[in-house]
Amino acid sequence: MPAAERGSAGWSSRSVGSRLQHRIFYLLIGLGGRRPAYALLYLVVLYYVLFRPSLRRRSYPYLRRRFPRQPPRLVDSFRMSLALGQVLVDRATVGILGPAALRVGLEGRKELIDLVAEGRGLILMTAHVGCWQVAMSAFDFLQAPVNLLLQREDGDIDRHYFEHAGIESPYRIIDPRGFLGGTLEMIAALKRGEVLSVMGDRMLGNDRNGIEADFLGAPVRFPYSAYKLASATGAPVAILLSAKTGPDVYALRLCSVLRVPAGLGRKAADFAPFAARFAEILEQYCGEHPYQFFNFFDLWEPSPASPANARSRK
Amino acid sequence: MSVKENLKKILIEGLNLEDITVDDIQDDMPLFGEGLGLDSLDVVELIVLVQKHFGVEIKDMEEGRPALQTVNTLADFIEKRRAA
Repeated sequence: MPAAERGSAGWSSRSVGSRLQHRIFYLLIGLGGRRPAYALLYLVVLYYVLFRPSLRRRSYPYLRRRFPRQPPRLVDSFRMSLALGQVLVDRATVGILGPAALRVGLEGRKELIDLVAEGRGLILMTAHVGCWQVAMSAFDFLQAPVNLLLQREDGDIDRHYFEHAGIESPYRIIDPRGFLGGTLEMIAALKRGEVLSVMGDRMLGNDRNGIEADFLGAPVRFPYSAYKLASATGAPVAILLSAKTGPDVYALRLCSVLRVPAGLGRKAADFAPFAARFAEILEQYCGEHPYQFFNFFDLWEPSPASPANARSRK
Repeated sequence: MSVKENLKKILIEGLNLEDITVDDIQDDMPLFGEGLGLDSLDVVELIVLVQKHFGVEIKDMEEGRPALQTVNTLADFIEKRRAA
């Protein structure tokens, strides 16, 4: 449960835990709520951090950047993995015991309602920090259908909160591995004035459309497709990040609203300022919540430039 | 100029396809992946270009999937929409 396996794209959404291990956690949550699940989680995370060095090392690229004056420590790796485990337990808790099991505060509610009311769709950009799924469970007030760009891998046994609850997905999932990366569905959703939620921090499997921005002292390749969609449709981009701020409390914050000018075209460089702004916000978040950053792979590892991009995107 | 020829010209100019001429684009050449080599992000620009130059909107997946295969399929889609 506490970390993800690495795949060909450099990251994977698949849990490292077995189906049985997940069921034990779900059983504990059902019987006693979060606390017994947290208690078991401490032991599980301790085991992974101490005896599975290959998993522990996945936190090192981030820890080296976030705490540059010291080598990655066991305690930091433990805290980072524990934070992810707690988020996953909380997510399951919402599904099993209902939304009332957690309190979610939102800063920027009126602004989000106003953005949706503009009628040009809204791109909600979040990241693998805090618990974005808890955030998603709190979007009823937007009164617009929510579409979620989500790459779910075959064999992924981690459940979404609505799957625990046995209810239909409250949002429509767009698979980036579908026809043209789901781009047509995303455009259609925005044209209908709906909300499209995307992750701004990870390149998706076959998405070669990234642009570099400085993050924690070195360049990282961030996807820019959302900014391009915003330019084509006129939809504003709202950067919304969540953080666990108490045992049963999450804070959602509207960090910034980006307005991407129309007609920016297809040059990656034109979208660089928006990726840079996102990276800046993410860095600020990591300053405030250093252990709630859940990218357990080397974001800073240079990726080979795509020949297609090299030909036409520079 | 036919819709196909016009479309090829717009593709080259609008998408800045370097080192490609109208003659290089075959009518039945796939637009995405192998073929012309466009990718998922190019579809955003392509939809905007089709709307701007032909006044035709590709609204969703049902329309887009068959239309966005080749120059032939896209030109057919545009002609049918303009005739409707």
